[in-house]
Amino acid sequence: MTPRARVAEPFDRLDTLSSAALRRWWTGRVRRVLEIAVAELPFYAEKFAAAGFDVQRFRSLDDLDQLPTFRKQDMLAWQTERKCHRLGIERRIDRSVGETFTVSSGTIGTTFLTVNQRWRRAQGKSSARAHWWAGFRPGSPFVISAPAWHSYAAIQPYLAEFFEAPCVVVSGTYLPRYADRIVDALRRFRPRYVTMFLPMVFSILTAARRSGIEPRALFDQVEVLLVTGAPITPGMERHLKEVTGVGRISEVAGVTEGVLATSCAEGRGLHVAPDTCYIEALDPRTRQRVRPRERGSMVHCFLIPEGSVYLRYDSEDVVTIDDSECPCGLPSPRIKILGRWEHSFRLGGDTLLAYDVQLALEDGVPETVGMPFVISREGLNAGRLRLLMPEPERDAHDLAARLRGHLQARFGAAVEVVWVRDLPLQFKGVAPVLSETQIG
Amino acid sequence: MDLREFPFYRSRLDARGVPEPWSLDDLEDYAAEHDDPFAGRVREGSRPAVALQIEATSEPPVWAALGPAELDAWAGVVSRLWRRFGLGADETIAFFDYGSNPCVLLSSSIYVSHLRRGAATRLGAHTICNDGVASMTARMLVILENVRPVGLVMRRDLVAPLAEALATHGQRGAKSLRWAAVSEVEGAAATKDADRLADVLGVPVRRLLRADAAFFVAGDCPECGQFHLDRSYRAESLGEGEIVLSAPFVGGCPAIRYRLGRGELLPAGCPLERKAVRLAW
Repeated sequence: MTPRARVAEPFDRLDTLSSAALRRWWTGRVRRVLEIAVAELPFYAEKFAAAGFDVQRFRSLDDLDQLPTFRKQDMLAWQTERKCHRLGIERRIDRSVGETFTVSSGTIGTTFLTVNQRWRRAQGKSSARAHWWAGFRPGSPFVISAPAWHSYAAIQPYLAEFFEAPCVVVSGTYLPRYADRIVDALRRFRPRYVTMFLPMVFSILTAARRSGIEPRALFDQVEVLLVTGAPITPGMERHLKEVTGVGRISEVAGVTEGVLATSCAEGRGLHVAPDTCYIEALDPRTRQRVRPRERGSMVHCFLIPEGSVYLRYDSEDVVTIDDSECPCGLPSPRIKILGRWEHSFRLGGDTLLAYDVQLALEDGVPETVGMPFVISREGLNAGRLRLLMPEPERDAHDLAARLRGHLQARFGAAVEVVWVRDLPLQFKGVAPVLSETQIG
Repeated sequence: MDLREFPFYRSRLDARGVPEPWSLDDLEDYAAEHDDPFAGRVREGSRPAVALQIEATSEPPVWAALGPAELDAWAGVVSRLWRRFGLGADETIAFFDYGSNPCVLLSSSIYVSHLRRGAATRLGAHTICNDGVASMTARMLVILENVRPVGLVMRRDLVAPLAEALATHGQRGAKSLRWAAVSEVEGAAATKDADRLADVLGVPVRRLLRADAAFFVAGDCPECGQFHLDRSYRAESLGEGEIVLSAPFVGGCPAIRYRLGRGELLPAGCPLERKAVRLAW
């Protein structure tokens, strides 16, 4: 029997558990959080009682099946009913200090999360673990580009403290017009580890060029670029390495309601931070667990019983879970969040995401890696894949033919390629499905 | 504090060791000439715990530096301001501005490293920040409706979008507000901006006077109409109606004799805060 790989630099003892031991740890942790939820959080006391759930009979993670799941529209309905941002899922122990609220915004509406100092310590440590996995180490300045208003911003200051790093706060926010201010921060403070929202990476590179700074020079001291905001394909990872010169591109993914996962050096998916959450992938129709590596709807239990506690929350993200052993030795399974079910589309008899099109493009036509594109809603409505892409300077006709041929063979559907003059930088790596009227 | 340790001040000191007053232009000029992000205002070789990019600077951007005790002291200034405006325990203050505005950043210890007690959370109050861009105005309405803050602090350039949104979608949660304040990147918004917001919200709207390079913020007063200076600051009146400010609570990145602009120092005596030195600005 091949011995289990050992983690080269474990964050702590939790990283050294076997997969089986982690499941036992998770069982105990989930049970503890369920006990608190039933005892202290009116929302769960009511819902779990209605489901006939007795936490004393919780014995294994499979027993989560007995609990109902909740989605954003459920939370919005309760928010409307209560006329309040507090849903009865907020645990608060220290009433002498005020709380901080963040937002979770989606296409159907905005809900709110409560965080506090106790949450900060626990989530901070788990987030530090995730950043450690991604390659972060102490001492390098920690750049915060859009403080205060979102959930990652609520934990970045803790990470700066944890990693004994100067906290560098950029003025402005995650908009291209502020990219030059982030460029200034990178130039001045030369961080070795940078976290960035994927579309902003390209805005930063553009701003650097405008300032006469060669992009690779801007990143020449960066050892790890941790990217968030979109699922990264292997081709996009290669592209980012090429344009920035950074040796390691890591990926972090999560949801505001309490999911966190980051890639290890092996790059075979994102390890779930076990002290943040436990994740299941359920068939969106049958609500049964899907097989490993099959696509399901991401349902999670947040395992930090402070502030807003989401249990069996269906974020309606498309996720795969791989619980096979990772060569890095970390015991927690690897996930990949591929997109949202609301953005999926039917083509050639399959349910697909923009991620699938991006993968297909870079597999078959490697020179398209890094090219932004838009999937036309009108094309999909007509049963075809119609891509809007910026016209290359040369050989556009030939490239279009190759794209059509490859994608038609791949997806079994008619394909059109429409060259446009330009597309917004925000679409690079985050291809949307849009009506062509929105492109102009 | 020996200002000779700070390159920016070294060349500005007179025979008594008092620096010549300076402005943001002077900081930008120094930063550009010496390629120093802190414009010579930190000791050589120091490694500040927190570096803040001063929003009002751009050519080049200049940074300010703070340590934990200095952050806490500045948060104390902001806390006294929120309390004077009317923020209390278990109430919520909402921000419609970038999180990098020090009034936002200092309000919760969640928002910035090394801040032990946030300006609002130390009062037992809660905070929520909505990103300070016009495209987030619709979300601001949702915040007002559901979070029901008692106070709203917002950027001057968002008054118009918010006013339009409230006119279109109705007052909704704005009814919970008891006060608001309008903030400018540097200086203070015009009275007409505060008045417009007051007309829309139906609550008193205060103006903030802000000078991030001097770690300064002050709010005007409904009683006397002037800006009250927190006890943490030292203000001087130069000839010809110019005011310079110093923030003695910051030692690692000194702000001594910053040119605030034209104004008039008034004696204390406002019935709402009897000991506060006041500024007509």
